[in-house]
Amino acid sequence: MSFDQPRRRRFESVAAEVYEPLQRYLRRRVSPDDADDLLGDVLLTVWRRIDDVPVDAPLPWCYGVARRTLSNHRRASRRRLRLVERLESEPSPALLLDPAEMLEDPELADALALLPVADQEILRLWAWEHLEPREIAEALGSTSNAVSLRLTRAKRKLADTMSRQDPPGAGHKEDRHPEEQRQ
Amino acid sequence: MTDELRERLARLDPMHSEVPTESVTTKSSRELLEGIMSTSSTEETATDSGRKNPWYIGVAAAAILVVAVGSVLALTGGGDGDPVAQGPPLALDAGADDPMAMCIQFSVEELARAPLAFEGTVTTVDGETVTLDVDEWFKGGDAGQVVLNAPAGMEALIGGIPFEEGGQYLITAYDGTVIYCGFSGPSAPEFRAAFEEAFAA
Repeated sequence: MSFDQPRRRRFESVAAEVYEPLQRYLRRRVSPDDADDLLGDVLLTVWRRIDDVPVDAPLPWCYGVARRTLSNHRRASRRRLRLVERLESEPSPALLLDPAEMLEDPELADALALLPVADQEILRLWAWEHLEPREIAEALGSTSNAVSLRLTRAKRKLADTMSRQDPPGAGHKEDRHPEEQRQ
Repeated sequence: MTDELRERLARLDPMHSEVPTESVTTKSSRELLEGIMSTSSTEETATDSGRKNPWYIGVAAAAILVVAVGSVLALTGGGDGDPVAQGPPLALDAGADDPMAMCIQFSVEELARAPLAFEGTVTTVDGETVTLDVDEWFKGGDAGQVVLNAPAGMEALIGGIPFEEGGQYLITAYDGTVIYCGFSGPSAPEFRAAFEEAFAA
């Protein structure tokens, strides 16, 4: 017999805290079907690494696991697709914006979509996952200082992009550099 | 401006708080979690750097390192028909853990799951080191002596247990780690009875 009971209880307690936020995190970034599959993968890693989960704040750490799981998933998807053009159009998380919400604030939605993917992600973690820089740092495997700088820069870029934008619908997506798109 | 931007961005969130998600308590969620917990938890996916001690370790944690040095103290057991403690000494290398860590509730059933359990008498408390002569192995070991190495500052209060020379203690460990939280502590009739019940052959 193993002495798994403490692990199980610890996992149950972490799962209760992160289960729904992880669903939101994943559904913001992949299709609902993929999100359901990936949730299991993320939780499996959390189970196996339960001793590493920070006691005081499990969620940002679990977002880090989700980020890596998502990244593996995208790599695997790209391998499966094997088509360069499909690779180029790998759905960016920005495309998962709620269409209704986009209609309400197309200016911001367009500006966000024009940012490099890394900037979009840091803004999402800040505004959607409601993380503070030190928590974003945990999720991204970075430092608080680096994240604060990047966040400030991303906000400035977003503001600059909005101020430069033509009226909505003019279609500026082709302005985005391919290398930025695929960061 | 920053708060305003954050709120404005949050309004683009396709999974804002009013969009329902599946609760952790639904049947399918429970099935998912149970399925995960039925898989091996020992498969190592983590790097060793920055590992934290398990939550159930309580105030302080100790990683057991088998030390094959020093003289072997062979002691007879403290009870009738007890296994003889005769293996090489064990060193318990204690490290501070989160004092707010939760503890699971003590029960004989939980205690029985511990893979390593012994009763020992403290021979020396020397700064950050507590040495115990093993009186009886209940489970999982054969060392004659166990050494607890507390981190600086913890001194003889490993896991909140006030180790005193001559005192007898019941200690459990799991996966290289001493289990505190009521699963280790000074020997007392009731506590010892729980050990006897849990580890009855």
